[in-house]
Amino acid sequence: MPTFTDNPQPAAGSLPQWLQQQARQQGTGIALRHKRLGVWQVRTWHQLAGEVQRLATALQARGFVPGATLVIVSRPRPEALIVALAAQWLGGVAALLDPLEAAAAQVPVLRELHREWVLAEGHEEIQRLRAAGLAPRLLIYADGRGLTEVSQAGDTLAFAQLLQQGSDLQFEPQARAKRTAFALYRLGAGQGIEQQRISHAELLQEGRRVVHSEQLGQQEEALVARTFAAGGQVRYLLAPWLIAGFRLNFPENLATRDQDRRELGPTLVAGTRETYERLHAQVLARLPEPGSWRRRLVDWALDTRPGAMHRHLGHWLIRRPLRDVLGFSRTRVPLLVGEALAPHTQAFFRALAIEVRTWPDPAQWHHPVPWPAPLVNGWIEDSTQPA
Amino acid sequence: MAQTQATKVEHLLVLENIGLSFKGVKAVIDISFAVAAGEICALIGPNGAGKSSLLNVINGVYQAQQGRIRFAGEEHRRMRPHDAAARGIARTFQNIALFKGMSVLDNVLTGRTLKRRSSWIEQALRIGRAAGEDDRQREAAERIIDFLHIQPWRDTLVGKLPYGLQKRVELARALAAEPRLMLLDEPMAGMNAEEKQQMSRFIVDINRELGTTVVLIEHDIGVVMGICDHVVVLDYGRKIADGPPDEVRQNPEVIAAYLGTRH
Repeated sequence: MPTFTDNPQPAAGSLPQWLQQQARQQGTGIALRHKRLGVWQVRTWHQLAGEVQRLATALQARGFVPGATLVIVSRPRPEALIVALAAQWLGGVAALLDPLEAAAAQVPVLRELHREWVLAEGHEEIQRLRAAGLAPRLLIYADGRGLTEVSQAGDTLAFAQLLQQGSDLQFEPQARAKRTAFALYRLGAGQGIEQQRISHAELLQEGRRVVHSEQLGQQEEALVARTFAAGGQVRYLLAPWLIAGFRLNFPENLATRDQDRRELGPTLVAGTRETYERLHAQVLARLPEPGSWRRRLVDWALDTRPGAMHRHLGHWLIRRPLRDVLGFSRTRVPLLVGEALAPHTQAFFRALAIEVRTWPDPAQWHHPVPWPAPLVNGWIEDSTQPA
Repeated sequence: MAQTQATKVEHLLVLENIGLSFKGVKAVIDISFAVAAGEICALIGPNGAGKSSLLNVINGVYQAQQGRIRFAGEEHRRMRPHDAAARGIARTFQNIALFKGMSVLDNVLTGRTLKRRSSWIEQALRIGRAAGEDDRQREAAERIIDFLHIQPWRDTLVGKLPYGLQKRVELARALAAEPRLMLLDEPMAGMNAEEKQQMSRFIVDINRELGTTVVLIEHDIGVVMGICDHVVVLDYGRKIADGPPDEVRQNPEVIAAYLGTRH
């Protein structure tokens, strides 16, 4: 594989280049779906690549340079993904922070990062930035609710406004395979900040492994889970999505994700231990009283025993409806990222013929290099960006 | 100067000398006050002070025997509820008045009735204007559902929802009519602290984001002082105070009548 030092031109093998390739190969195919106002809204690969490039031109015009970092504090939503890809298109880094993380743990991280480019999902996330004393050069927001009083003086822009400022100028992605694509941050045990940086090459390598071993193709449907800002999600969902070219679905919001999953019936689920345990707990809470004939029927159906009657009757009466309720009716690839499931949860899903396969989260957390960092081929590869 | 500024305030609703009695029992006595466009105004007072009666006068459920009402610059001696709704006044009730056997979405859609242009025959047969209109009404209803964060219960029967959520659905239905003035009769009654905080947030958002003027009856003084621009205090059918929350809070008559005096 060519490296950045071998090839001064943009090397093949970055996430934006895969996006470009999918747009060329299956431009009219569906890349993203997002439920909004009760209806699934669609973006084709061609539209998505166009939107990412347009946003990249707008960011570039405002001074975003290769190596710069764009912090994203958002729940899963298309705008967050598009901004991340636009920053990477320009050779930049997308730093993902989870807005559901406790403010007490996140504000010190934001304060320490002191980034110039930020996408905050909405009002609450902007409040966090303010609490951290952050005054970014450009603050993009996805949801304008409650932001009527926010300054419109050029440093704060709605996603749609920024997109409008972009141009249709076509240019090749500036990302390099060995450069960082995503950065993740957390407050370490000693209250110091720890970071995890994942390069395009690493992501694509992991992504290819998942695509090949799970035989993922364009026909897959995947739902983006709660933890958008997680290494596991970018390794085992975003990278395979770009490589295999399947459909990525965003729920209407986190509160509707179980209903949206049920409606969608994804073939690929990339969840964490919490995802599967929450669903298991939901089922347990709704089971009939112990000792009742209905409960005995459920227990019988979920019990692993041989026999055609058990297999067929149990499937039609209990297991199939349960899979439907959980939104696993079509799930072919149930992945678990990170920590393994508790045995009783694993057994429950196995009884439903859902063989959850664990993929480790090879996260390597370390302390950021203090700024200013050494220049690598004219790029600054560190945790902070030049002023 | 102060007078000049005062005349510049655009009043959406003006009540002048309103009097209402039931078989000789005076419920509302000679009440006058004005609600500025874009403000949140609270009507407070002890039980039986005439607050709900006054809301019923404003939206035409009761006809005042005395006085006049000016809404959006037009004077109305007698306004019926359907006139009030058509002119942009929506309300919620102290006791939830929803269609319990219908879904959240269908309840919100009922709030769009006055926005439909097709006739009932067109709607029944789904012909003419009705066909295209359904999508537009559904989208408008979905925007309200999104605004009040009730998407997870969109298809749930209202009767199966907890009380706090039913209150929010009622607010959604009122909002679906795109009112200029919203009358909320104890929107937080029976709610716990968290639900109250959430509902307060929604009321403020409706006011700020959509520009809807709000008149609400509320017993929780903390909520009233926290979100309202203007407070009118009633006692035994009479107005005893009218002004900004801080001013009203200091009013000795209010302290005596509403909060109780120290003897």
